[in-house]
Amino acid sequence: EETQKKQQMGFNFKSYMVEKANSVHQALDEAVSLKEPLKIHEAMRYSLLAGGKRVRPALCIAACELVGGEESLAMPAACAVEMIHTMSLIHDDLPCMDNDDLRRGKPTNHKVYGEDVAVLAGDALLALAFEHVANATKGVSPARVVRAIGELARVIGTEGLVAGQVVDIQSEGRDVGEVGIEQLEYIHLHKTAALLEGSVVMGAIVGGGGDEEVERLRRYATCVGLLFQVVDDILDVTKSSEELGKTAGKDLLADKVTYPKVMGLEKARVFAEDLNREAKLQLLGFDGERAAPLLALADYIALRQN
Amino acid sequence: ASSNSVHFDLKTYWTALIAEINKKLEDAIPVKYPERIYEAMRYSVLDEAAKRAPPVMCIASSEIFGVPRSAAFPTACALEMIHAASLIHDDLPCMDDAAARRGRPSNHTIYGVDMAILAGDALFPLGFQHIVTYTPSEVIPENRILQVIAEFARAVGSTGMAAGQFVDLRNGNGNGDREGVVEFVQEKKFGEMAECSAACGGLLAGAADEEVARLRRYGRAVGVLYQVVDDVMESRRDGGEGVKNKKSFVRLYGLERALKRAEELREEAKRELDGFVDVYGKTKVAPLYSFVDYAVDRSFVVGDG
Repeated sequence: EETQKKQQMGFNFKSYMVEKANSVHQALDEAVSLKEPLKIHEAMRYSLLAGGKRVRPALCIAACELVGGEESLAMPAACAVEMIHTMSLIHDDLPCMDNDDLRRGKPTNHKVYGEDVAVLAGDALLALAFEHVANATKGVSPARVVRAIGELARVIGTEGLVAGQVVDIQSEGRDVGEVGIEQLEYIHLHKTAALLEGSVVMGAIVGGGGDEEVERLRRYATCVGLLFQVVDDILDVTKSSEELGKTAGKDLLADKVTYPKVMGLEKARVFAEDLNREAKLQLLGFDGERAAPLLALADYIALRQN
Repeated sequence: ASSNSVHFDLKTYWTALIAEINKKLEDAIPVKYPERIYEAMRYSVLDEAAKRAPPVMCIASSEIFGVPRSAAFPTACALEMIHAASLIHDDLPCMDDAAARRGRPSNHTIYGVDMAILAGDALFPLGFQHIVTYTPSEVIPENRILQVIAEFARAVGSTGMAAGQFVDLRNGNGNGDREGVVEFVQEKKFGEMAECSAACGGLLAGAADEEVARLRRYGRAVGVLYQVVDDVMESRRDGGEGVKNKKSFVRLYGLERALKRAEELREEAKRELDGFVDVYGKTKVAPLYSFVDYAVDRSFVVGDG
């Protein structure tokens, strides 16, 4: 741990993230050009290029670089996970789902383009994510690209994002005691952690990582994914809407089960610290300098304020 | 009929394939926790009335080049998953607002709009996952698997079926003078799935670009042909009067033009196939030929509806 801390010291996380966010933004901009029918492509770009911290693409690229790959190998996969993330936000915000008006401080996709276009833009982003990985990944063996696509497919559907959203919907309006920590963890492992895991694992695969490295990074990502959600829940009860860029306290209003509600705020904070430690433990065997971004990303997710 | 047609028992071929495809789809979507989403997915994918035309066309195309069925089945089944996903979303209240599909309540009517959206969102990736998990890479090299995946994504994506659905929604009442729009929507909504199905057969086989392009044009023509003939059949059932479907080709252009269009499409589709006969022989191409005639004749019933 001491060594890890030292390695992080010499690493400028902020400039790393800015640099990756810029190159990802540029790649996304190019991947979704404005063409006919304009409205669908505008809607796709509206949500995809809205900014955001690009945590998932950064994780993908950092994992690729950790196992010795160049950033360019992982860029299509990094764009794909952001497309999937965006698609799931567009669909989750729909009136028939979470009915959100605001996302990243801007009106949600369906508020601007209508529900029909929002559904289609989400579907189109989902398709594009796969097309992009399949067509735009260069310098990686087809076998590895196929493996990466398998990971991406798995973390979206009934073993990933969709499963999490289903159980989340089903648990709404139920008593905290009735839902329990296991179900809560199920929701977040699927709704949040799965895609973070997919991001890291895809990065490691296209970067040329060995099986053992991929699996270690998978465990890192699972911890970071849960951590992400625990922190999100904590922020939801401790911050204002303005600070968050989305409707704060919504989880409370919607009667959603959250970690602070189930285990109390203090215990949720301790849980977050445990997850951060566990995540970093998985990085011990890797080259220290290369591990710095993923170490810092875990801290960033643990300590972020919005 | 084309001189390249040979006698072929399409009904037996198709019926046998339906049974195999249904079995594989059944196995591909087991019911697990959280059950409701699996049930919603199964409701649409395992529809007894489904004709399984996309997978059958995919397998028939791949068989021209001698691809073993076992290697084509994962892609064939995935076509049904993707097809179901797109139909579920098309039926939503904010889209076509269809309460029924193939004579049964539509997915969201039974499972709710939220589950219907999620069922679609889950079926798209399941299709991709099914292909990469079950396609034997010793038979189909990975670079071809990637081409198939890209083709699927193109077909359903923002310039494919999603584009067709969008333009259809925005030109809701189908005014007869907007001919280009109607053609576009027909090609995208009904031609794209068939194009993708036929093209994937060629891609799995590693067929030459020109051959894949031929299969694309064939599939697209057959897909639109099916729809035009459906419209004609509907108008005949209704005695030519009051065709309910506002987007019906017959309602827009009249019966005579619909019949002429059908004949053109039939010829177009067969012309594309003629190019394969010299190289692969009549027998290999027979299923695809008989598919075209079936689209017009509907000489037997497949599926339960």
